[in-house]
Amino acid sequence: MLGGFFGLTLINKNKETQLIKNKVIAPTIVPDKILSTDSGIIQNLEISSPQDGIVVDNGSVKITGKMEINSLIIIQTPIKDISFKTKKADFSFDLSLALGENVIKIVAYPSDKNQNPQEKDLKIYYLDSQL
Amino acid sequence: MKKILLILLIAGFILFRQVSAQTVTTSPSDEKDIKVFKDKIANVIKKNDKALSGLVTSNDGSIIKLKGGDDDVFEVKLDGELTKYFKISGASKKEIKADDISKDDYIIITGILTDKSITANSIFVDESYIVGSGRITEVDKDNYSVKVINSAKETFTLDVETSTKQLILNIKTLGIEQTGFSKIKEGDYTHFVVKRGIDVKDNKYPAQKILVIPQEYFIK
Repeated sequence: MLGGFFGLTLINKNKETQLIKNKVIAPTIVPDKILSTDSGIIQNLEISSPQDGIVVDNGSVKITGKMEINSLIIIQTPIKDISFKTKKADFSFDLSLALGENVIKIVAYPSDKNQNPQEKDLKIYYLDSQL
Repeated sequence: MKKILLILLIAGFILFRQVSAQTVTTSPSDEKDIKVFKDKIANVIKKNDKALSGLVTSNDGSIIKLKGGDDDVFEVKLDGELTKYFKISGASKKEIKADDISKDDYIIITGILTDKSITANSIFVDESYIVGSGRITEVDKDNYSVKVINSAKETFTLDVETSTKQLILNIKTLGIEQTGFSKIKEGDYTHFVVKRGIDVKDNKYPAQKILVIPQEYFIK
């Protein structure tokens, strides 16, 4: 009786040990960041606001986002071209809008020039407030 | 006992009348609160307002069929009382009629979208542009055109015309300057704006604007 109990306990203990050994530890997914091959973390291009497809009722909009420091940012719309280098991870700029649909392309060229450029597209609709 | 029951019934009736009266009577301050509440709701709706755009495939006067950006087909319901129609040209817009919207027009619709159907509050006929970027793979100096391959491996042929705004990044100051066709080289990056057209073949467009990032920027 006692031997049987001891045997069962041993089997259970062995199962637990196997489970711990076989446990898969998945890598944590960091959606807006990638791990650099050298050191530290590189910030991918991220646009925090405004939302894609939003309707605004005035002729300019503040665009805010994040990108790795010292990246070249190029913003192009049918009516505007902007270029600057990021001094901090966060950036923001005011963009004038044309009446109607505004297709905006934001491209970031990372400071490591061997890396591919990163892109984001936005559509913002400037439709005045009388409607 | 009967007396007590009667008193309780009368008291209950009076109390019920008072509660009922309170629920239907609104004082001026209540009306003010209701207006504030309504405004808040309207603002929330406005803040979440999104628009839909695409090419008209048909218009029968009560329903417009629309092809959106990812070739999704949407049904735009027109309301005789509610829906307003405009044509945008430059910085102004003028009111038009539903019949003025025809096949292949590019339109923007505001309204409440449910699945693939939208009841239109307003419809705007507008120009449609493609804003792209990629590496220049070929410069045709005879025909004044460049071939560009983007990150999705699509190839565009851009005709650089006299009306094309040609810009270049100054790699020292990082400012944007005017340039000419002779400065564009194979291997440079370019950003471009073209007008979407119905008679475009093989992704060949007259360029509205190009902005060149010289390859020297990447070897600096």
